[in-house]
Amino acid sequence: MSGVWVVLEEHDGRIGRISWEALAAGHALGAQLGLPVSAIVPGANTDATAAEAATKAVDKVVRIEHPLLAVYTSDAFTLALEQFLRSVTPEYIVFPHTYQVRDYAPALAARFSRVLIGDVTALAAGPVFQRQLLQGRLVGDYRASGPGPHFLSVQSGAFRADQLPSASATIEVFTPQIEPEQMRTKPSAPFRASAQTVDLSSAPLIVSVGRGIKEADNLPLVQELAAALGAELAASRPICDNGWLPIERQIGSSGQTVAPKLYLAVGISGAIQHLVGIKGSQCIVAINKDPDAPIFEVADYGIVGDLFDVVPALTAALKAAQS
Amino acid sequence: MTLLLPTLAEPATFALGEKLLFLALAAASAALFARRLSPIVRNILRARKDSDFHLFPIGRRAWDFFWEVICQAKVIQQRPLPGLAHAFVFWGFCAFALVTLNHCAVGLGIGFLSPQSWFGRFYFYFAAAFALTCAAGIAGLFIRRFLVRPRWLGAKLSWESGFIAFLIFALMVTYLAAFFVADTAPAARMLWWAHTLSLLIFLPIIPHTKHLHLVLSPATVFLSRGGFSQIPPLSGDEDFGLVAGTDLTQLTVLQSYSCVECGRCTEHCPAANTGKLLNPKEIVLGLRSYLNDLGPASEEPLLGKYNAQEAVFQCTTCGACEFQCPVGIEHLPILVGLRRGAVNTGAWEDDHGAKLFLALERGSNALGLGTAERDKFVQKQAFPIFDGSQEYCLWLGCMGGYDPKGREIVADFARVMNYLGTSYGVLRKEKCTGDPVRRLGNDLLFQQLAESNLELLAQNKVRKIVTICPHCVRTIAEDWKEFGAPPEIEHHSEFLARHLSQLPTVPDQEKIVYHDPCYLGRYRNVYDEPRAVVSSAGQLVEAPRSGERSFCCGAGGGLAFLGEETGERVSHMRAAELAATGATTVAAACPFCNTMLRDAFAAQANAPQLIDIAQLTARSLPPVPSATV
Amino acid sequence: MKIIVAIKQVPERDAQVRIDAAGKGIDETDLQWALNESDAYALEEALRLKEANGGEVIVLSAGPERVGSTIREALAKGADRAIHIDVEDLAQRDVFNVAQLLAAAIKPESPDLVLTGLQSDDLGYGQTGVILAELLGLPHASLILHVEKSASGLTVKRELEEGWFQTIDLPTPALLTIQSGGNKLRYATLMGIKKAKTKEQRRIPAADLGVAAAQSVTLDRIALPHKQKSTQLLPGSAKEAAAALVEKLKFEARVL
Repeated sequence: MSGVWVVLEEHDGRIGRISWEALAAGHALGAQLGLPVSAIVPGANTDATAAEAATKAVDKVVRIEHPLLAVYTSDAFTLALEQFLRSVTPEYIVFPHTYQVRDYAPALAARFSRVLIGDVTALAAGPVFQRQLLQGRLVGDYRASGPGPHFLSVQSGAFRADQLPSASATIEVFTPQIEPEQMRTKPSAPFRASAQTVDLSSAPLIVSVGRGIKEADNLPLVQELAAALGAELAASRPICDNGWLPIERQIGSSGQTVAPKLYLAVGISGAIQHLVGIKGSQCIVAINKDPDAPIFEVADYGIVGDLFDVVPALTAALKAAQS
Repeated sequence: MTLLLPTLAEPATFALGEKLLFLALAAASAALFARRLSPIVRNILRARKDSDFHLFPIGRRAWDFFWEVICQAKVIQQRPLPGLAHAFVFWGFCAFALVTLNHCAVGLGIGFLSPQSWFGRFYFYFAAAFALTCAAGIAGLFIRRFLVRPRWLGAKLSWESGFIAFLIFALMVTYLAAFFVADTAPAARMLWWAHTLSLLIFLPIIPHTKHLHLVLSPATVFLSRGGFSQIPPLSGDEDFGLVAGTDLTQLTVLQSYSCVECGRCTEHCPAANTGKLLNPKEIVLGLRSYLNDLGPASEEPLLGKYNAQEAVFQCTTCGACEFQCPVGIEHLPILVGLRRGAVNTGAWEDDHGAKLFLALERGSNALGLGTAERDKFVQKQAFPIFDGSQEYCLWLGCMGGYDPKGREIVADFARVMNYLGTSYGVLRKEKCTGDPVRRLGNDLLFQQLAESNLELLAQNKVRKIVTICPHCVRTIAEDWKEFGAPPEIEHHSEFLARHLSQLPTVPDQEKIVYHDPCYLGRYRNVYDEPRAVVSSAGQLVEAPRSGERSFCCGAGGGLAFLGEETGERVSHMRAAELAATGATTVAAACPFCNTMLRDAFAAQANAPQLIDIAQLTARSLPPVPSATV
Repeated sequence: MKIIVAIKQVPERDAQVRIDAAGKGIDETDLQWALNESDAYALEEALRLKEANGGEVIVLSAGPERVGSTIREALAKGADRAIHIDVEDLAQRDVFNVAQLLAAAIKPESPDLVLTGLQSDDLGYGQTGVILAELLGLPHASLILHVEKSASGLTVKRELEEGWFQTIDLPTPALLTIQSGGNKLRYATLMGIKKAKTKEQRRIPAADLGVAAAQSVTLDRIALPHKQKSTQLLPGSAKEAAAALVEKLKFEARVL
């Protein structure tokens, strides 16, 4: 019973976009190798998620069900998947590259004396798997050698989940043998950093406002944008010096250093004191009416325009994209 | 011939008892003086040997001694009125040496200067003239200290100083009064005794008050390291800078004891002027208290009870203190030395500081940005790459390579060089010169940066460097010497001034105020060149504090990287001062000053335009169809 | 607590990397090297645990001669001693094989805790720690920001996606992979460098560990990415530009 198997990850009874993207990668791989593609849904109560997966033109869906899989632990997940994979001896197992997968998939692969090809961004004939090296400065082509199973995980956004074909598949249940004492780690329920304190340094999304906003009365404009993004609001030094925002929201050499996924700079020209505070950002977007503003030197995307036009338009576009 | 003028009255004879009493009092005074002075001298001698503690170069030292001690040049230059008053007191004392010796000899019946001899007559009048000016001087100083009360002398009135002033005044008055009595009059005897007692009381007060500078400061001036901010190399594996008493060298101990508490250093200190903890005078006095309490063999840390670590790290290393000090105290080696002690042992914990150090441990620039950013700039400007064939290596520095405003300055300066047909190239890569870590006392990092840069420059066969950053200039030209021979380097102001005749001048009546960067002025003695450049572009106006007494922008000493200041921002104080000159343009000559002042002006309404001197020159060039920043 | 920190030497963040002639690796000529960033945080966590609870911190690194400089840096920051697995053929070993090498060196030490960085800045697999735990038979937790000793072992703070965290209790001996940013790093000092000279640095040739070079995954070729980072200016009206930006952020930058 060889083939390509895709592990779908479930959170709060739903399968996330990145798992569907992994399934899309599985489909591409299956097509290239002429192998059937099946899905695995591990968990304690996978009824609904398995049913959803069964509509995505897979050969079959296997629910790996066990009460001890209700809360993720690497010991239980590794054990459950190991038992299942030994029963099917697949060619390829495809994972979404999530924090959870990164926590157990390398150990799972090691049990088969294999190495996970992690964080794959593209697939080429061979199959050859492409992934980034040196933090994106280089790309590498990887190939798995020897007989299966081979393990890979795909990066978020690398494959398009919105083009998955649909067809209905059969659903099977696999019950692994797990004993409570085999689970050595005891995880607590997830929590968020307390909402009272501003911790910009760990914020994944930041909207930051500068002198271009002109007056404190205009701040709600960017506050709405931040709310639409689910982002923290921050500012450059003059805004905090004026007391328009509290000092703990100041970014730059004399304030906070941040490293968000997205840093959206609104009306910030980009003095060096500010730039050194945002250099760790994964993606920088700048909105400024001065095309020569230094912030555009470091930005990935820029909109040259009046922030009083662009910001409301962006807020609307974000809201439209979410609904 | 009858004498028209009175002469100095001296009692002709002394009874044996009187002589014995005088001898006993003189011996007691001298003994007390010696007892109080000896622990100080012992502390100086017991302190660690200092390789800079020697007599050579004798020429420079003799000149310093002549100029600063004999002529009192620094004292007068920095504070003309009180300086002159002090000089009169000093010169009065010098002139009085012979008089005093004779005065004591008279008490033993062996006086050698006779008011009747022509020399004695001449000398007594000569000394009287000095006595007059000295008395006037000390009276003036007394009035200043107790009635005018300048802030930098401290809030507390020093009664001891008042008493000393009284003694000096008494010495002079009793001398002068003796011209108006007859030898035989009882008043002559009374005056003689009053003069004697003033002298004998004065002597033992010297060692434990700031008047110790009478004894030590001539030596301190003579023995000072010379130069400016000369940070001594660390010696051996156990030297981490000034950690404990055992690290204080003879020179430092001598300097600590020489402080006269005049407060010139505090008066000009940007930190002390903006409400910070640091007060350079108190740093020196803190060391003195440490030495008095614990001595130079103590292992107790220097930072803690006697001096606060926080204060030491508030110094911008602008050097105003060292520059002003009239008694030869070198504050910067002390302040940087204390920082070295804290950083080299890991005792200094500061988030921003650690971030700066880690950025330079792992990367190439103090801003912690990727070199790709610099590459992008070099490509965009199409700067020629230095290959050994060009005359100049154009050193970008961290600010020139990464700061958007610094880049504009470099680009404009390059335009000027293009116009002049000067050949230059930039290096493919360069590292921070180590200026901020040098001033913050991180010797490990400084050495690594200096060595790898020296290697880089040697590989590229660089012989001449020009740069827009005075901090790079200073660090490369002076501080790197410890690790090798750096190439010749000059600041762009020097280059521009030399080529002014070949550059177009645009007659403009715009008022431009020039801000002296500390690292160009006090650190390199370059004052006229940037002014020549400014004058070629407009009408130069001076800020109240300019030239050698320029006020810092707040960036130096690594402080540009250390986060928010306590108290008022130094940059704001300076920006306000520059704006108040009424100039429409502020000309800077340092990218750090530029960035600090830019930030400060941003908070002001109707702020003047801020521009680098290279940009002043560049704007008068005919337009060229090339890329701009 | 006896703590082993596995550290890796990687090209300096600012180093100008060139692809070697074979097209399979980085040209190491004139390359400058540094301690991997998350490993620096692992070392920092180990030093803090030692300062709080006593014990010993041992750094372990595999690589050729050049690794010595990074080991000395770790000793200078406060590690007590070091083990250097002397291995020249790292390019012929996959991450599983490297973990086998490390495991062979760790076993005889029987540490209470093994720390690794979350992932390396060069190859970025992020697997060495988890595989190492598997090979040593230790419980593990990854993406750890904070570690505290508890009565039964350890309590750790783990980073989850999108600003969530959880705590995990686990018994010792254990292995943790440390995420960057949980602590403030200490800087290297002159005194530390001088002290490091006297600390023990044991070198073990890879051959002595009985792990032959092998790989189940091969790196065929490395190349420059098609697109170099540059600023994309989005044209059009405010509305058009905003819509284009949302599309780019979703599907190109993948940050939404």
